[in-house]
Amino acid sequence: MKRRTFLKLSTVGGAGAALAGCGEQTNQLIRFIPDETLVPGVATWRPGICTLCPAGCGLQVRIMEGDAEVIRNGQAGVVKMGLAKKLEGNPQHPVNHGTLCARGQAGLQVTFNPDRVRHPLKRVGPRGSGKFAEISWDEALQELLTHLSPLASPGSAHSMAFLAGPLRGQRRVLIERFLSAFGAAQFVPFELFDDSVLRAANQLSFGRDQLPTFDLAESNFVMSFGADFLGTWNSPMAQSVAYGIMRRNRPGARGKFVQVESRMSQTGANADEWIPAHPGTEGQLALGIAHIILSEHHRSPEAAGAAGSRIEGWHNGLPEYSPEAVAWKTGVPPQTIMRLAREMAVQTPAVAIVGGAPLAQTNGLFTALAINALNALLGGVGKPGGLQFTPRPPLPGHGSSETNSKGLTGTSVRSLAQHILSGQARTVESLLLYEANPVFATPATWHVKEALESVPFIASLGHFIDETSVLADLILPDHSYLESWMDDVPESGTTAAVVSVAPPAMHPLHNTRAMPDVLLDVAHRLGGRASQALPWKSYEEMLQAALAPLAHSPSSITASSPDDFWTKVKDQGGWWSAKGSAAPERESAAHAVPALKNEEAQFDGPAPGYPFYFLPYASQQFFDGRHANLPWMQELPEVLSTGMWGTWVEINPQTAATLKIEQGDLLEVASRHGSVRAPALLSPGIAPDVVAMPVGQGHVEYGRYASGRGANPIKILAPDVERTTGSLAWAGTRVSVAKAGTGELILLSGGPTKWSQERVRR
Amino acid sequence: MAAALVIVASLCGVRAVRGQTFLILAAGAEPGAGPGVPPDSSVFTPAHRSFLDAVKEYFGIQSTPVQPIAFTHKIHLQNGLQCTNCHAGVTQGPNAGYPSITFCMACHQAIAADKPEIKKLTAYAANGQEPPWQRVYWFYPTAHVRFQHAPHIRNDIACEQCHGDLAQQTVAVKTKNLNMNFCLTCHKAKGVSVDCMTCHY
Amino acid sequence: MAHRWGMVIDLDRCTGCEACVAACHAENNIATVDAAQAANGRTMHWIHVERYWEGEFPNVRARFQPVLCQQCDAAPCEPVCPTYASYHNSDGLNAQVYNRCIGTFYCADACPYTARYFNWFNPVWDKPLNLQLNPDVSVRGVGVMEKCTFCIQRITAAEIQAKAENRDVKDGEVKPACVQSCPTAAMVFGDLEDPSSQVSRLAGSMRATTLLAEVGTFPKVIYLERESSHANE
Repeated sequence: MKRRTFLKLSTVGGAGAALAGCGEQTNQLIRFIPDETLVPGVATWRPGICTLCPAGCGLQVRIMEGDAEVIRNGQAGVVKMGLAKKLEGNPQHPVNHGTLCARGQAGLQVTFNPDRVRHPLKRVGPRGSGKFAEISWDEALQELLTHLSPLASPGSAHSMAFLAGPLRGQRRVLIERFLSAFGAAQFVPFELFDDSVLRAANQLSFGRDQLPTFDLAESNFVMSFGADFLGTWNSPMAQSVAYGIMRRNRPGARGKFVQVESRMSQTGANADEWIPAHPGTEGQLALGIAHIILSEHHRSPEAAGAAGSRIEGWHNGLPEYSPEAVAWKTGVPPQTIMRLAREMAVQTPAVAIVGGAPLAQTNGLFTALAINALNALLGGVGKPGGLQFTPRPPLPGHGSSETNSKGLTGTSVRSLAQHILSGQARTVESLLLYEANPVFATPATWHVKEALESVPFIASLGHFIDETSVLADLILPDHSYLESWMDDVPESGTTAAVVSVAPPAMHPLHNTRAMPDVLLDVAHRLGGRASQALPWKSYEEMLQAALAPLAHSPSSITASSPDDFWTKVKDQGGWWSAKGSAAPERESAAHAVPALKNEEAQFDGPAPGYPFYFLPYASQQFFDGRHANLPWMQELPEVLSTGMWGTWVEINPQTAATLKIEQGDLLEVASRHGSVRAPALLSPGIAPDVVAMPVGQGHVEYGRYASGRGANPIKILAPDVERTTGSLAWAGTRVSVAKAGTGELILLSGGPTKWSQERVRR
Repeated sequence: MAAALVIVASLCGVRAVRGQTFLILAAGAEPGAGPGVPPDSSVFTPAHRSFLDAVKEYFGIQSTPVQPIAFTHKIHLQNGLQCTNCHAGVTQGPNAGYPSITFCMACHQAIAADKPEIKKLTAYAANGQEPPWQRVYWFYPTAHVRFQHAPHIRNDIACEQCHGDLAQQTVAVKTKNLNMNFCLTCHKAKGVSVDCMTCHY
Repeated sequence: MAHRWGMVIDLDRCTGCEACVAACHAENNIATVDAAQAANGRTMHWIHVERYWEGEFPNVRARFQPVLCQQCDAAPCEPVCPTYASYHNSDGLNAQVYNRCIGTFYCADACPYTARYFNWFNPVWDKPLNLQLNPDVSVRGVGVMEKCTFCIQRITAAEIQAKAENRDVKDGEVKPACVQSCPTAAMVFGDLEDPSSQVSRLAGSMRATTLLAEVGTFPKVIYLERESSHANE
């Protein structure tokens, strides 16, 4: 007897024999007839568009056949269908060139998330209770029409509002057309990290109301003021691809990279020189550098053109910004300022980047204009190695006369909330909600939740229940972005004009409908102006019609017929022109806008009681909090802290020692407007007078992985806004820190108390 | 014997997962990998559903499948069909696959439509359903085998070498024990890789 | 013909973005544990990014280093395995055969890079999250040690494809999930046996080092040192 057989027999004796041979049908589930035929086990690749952040990367979706549990006509069963198994970047796409970030990779867990809304829901409990009952699509649409029809009559005194994330492309066109059918409708775009300050500044400096694109691949000197451009800001994949080239793809030339910020970001960790400046003084530092460049005659003030004229004293050589004066304000030594200015002036092409916290101050616009002026002075605007703008595709609705960021009667969430709460009774009768979560991502002092609670009717068109959509009376769940027709017009990240288009990569898993198709259906049922404005039967038809003019614009696609063009666009994942930068429109910017004086950032909370600058930052895992429901992101160690599954308060070790705070202690971080608790993380990469917290956790109502985990730093922020643009000054609050007990910190390395004793490199 | 029992006992333990109980025993169930997936569960786990399942797997016992329709390979092959007509995946990828009912109905709309088994087929199609075909040859997920059909077909390994002569079978039955010895005998004879990583990953 | 698969990671390009980490989870059916188990150190990151702080504020610096199984030529994990679950294959890979593994933990103890991860529990996916599972890779159960395979499923697929077309695997044809996702092209994969491959050429760089070289494991993951051009050092 073989040893193996002996072991097996001796284990349970002959019991096994009794089990053999009993015939059974092991899988009794009903199998539905599949809608598509795929070769089992063989992957096919379909184009897609990433919607996990506003960068607009192109995707390749790996589709393989699998068994999905579905419900059809009320019957549960299994169907073979093509399932997304992996997301990669689309190698042809001009923005991300085949790469995809961690958050984008985790997009699979959006589609397959167990907490997705699987069918239309109607609220049955009190508002906000989260109690919903399943209804049919017919009932849901009927319910929606009941509330919208009265508002569609031209003389309606009541209005409706559409609160949505930053939509681009034809989805935006569709919503604008849809709203035009209503007597009084307002579009309320909302995004926490909205960059509208930078757009406004670019409009003033360069005549482009648009986020910039940086030609880092050709740069020899990059100075970033607070922008986490390799992590979460603007177009991180495009910028990372270019960064790799800047560092190592050019034999003999390795671009230098300097980062200015008060808390080391993932991007800052890669800098050759990391310069902590006092929060809110970044603009002054930029002008201090410009002062040296001008006073040492490396450039003339006229070189900066209109962008320079935006700054008071520019043409006099910025006398207020001597190195000593700037050093006193910023905390950066005068020698460093002078050295950086000389390096920047000589190591051309040089480019300055600004984004993130410096613009989330009350003086954000001044800071952005100062850095724009520095860029213009360096001579890189619109040039290789400098600052460029993604050209707009030759489509109606995307011309340069119209802007990307303004809707018909665009209004901010804050003013909407003020408007509703001001007691002007029932001006907003109905609110449609789509992919925006302002209840989570606005300060408590904006009272967005209270305002929305008093709106008579709210319908959500999103596919998750979050802090905002839990207030809805009706939920008409959207397909996921892998199940829908997608399109996008990236705002930045490339010098080609791009219109991304992707057909659904897979069939829908649940009883959901794509938001654009729902709106088209509703418009059709409303009749009148709505159906005139939106005559298309499906979003696919609308997209094809909208993109048809592109067939005549030069691009990589040569097509024999309109149908052939459409097929090729779908296969490629979009349409893009050859690369070439759109020249900034300086002339249109030259209107008589008074030059801005030096402005100091105003911080909420007096320094004696609130000694620390409070810096909430866009999280590597969760961005603005929207990815907290993805388990892969929860378990991704944030690279600098290695923290997982929670929030923490980053504090300088010396400060912590003074306050007798140890790693892992529970801290209470209090502003004048509220407090949050989170464990202390001692981090050497943060200024002693700054405490920082990642944004994204602290959800109350966002599915099983996110809810009840960590703390939300946004809630305690002051209501302050940037003065000119009105966007939230999320880095403008001061806080106090006190020990409140023992917390739990989950770190990948170092253990809870051993940050200084980690394994030392080799 | 006692020691072996202790080992088995120590491997077994019951862990509650979201209100459902699974046996902790090294096991695996994968998408489309046959038995092991608790279909009524709200979670997916490679744990065995029951101790009995674990024991069966330990002894490599695979029950004889009961097919929903007495499909006869013999008649189809006699009538000139090739294996690859229905199991089209073999030449292209890892899995042979079986056709959807729409493929069956393309012929059986007309052919032998009055036979009792074909009536069953027609009834499934009318309900928008597939017959719940049961796998005849499969590996336990804990075998961690990534078998690939296509390279074998390309190297002229005939179907019957592993699946027996289906021309002689009505409802397919398992005639070969596809254990590792079976695979390795052939791999050694043909001088192809016998590295573990060729199949197990 | 045997290959000698290896990887070069350019630390001057790596930005610590962790795209590789997420890509690896998606490709290799790596289970997430939960907060409680993560606190016990039971997460399974076949690749993770080590962060090393240097200096103190304000002259502080953080360095990143992605660490995965180093696929050592003289692998300490192999001789200690009592069941030969951990062994060296002809392509130079440190193979881990899940079927053989009985979870002694010897290999994880022997590995100086802590690149091996143990399944403390049977993994659980809340449906329908299981539909994301890659059918090309097996799902490991409780009691099994696992680690980076250099995406053996992708290597095998490329080899099968090459054989079907009666040719050799081309340089750059195999891209493990981490390499494919990397936005700065910091990671390069290929055959170290082929002197003309990109990975071989980079491995000959002046900046080439290996992790814990003094341990004598002869890793096939080669790091290119980060360049230091710090003006104010």
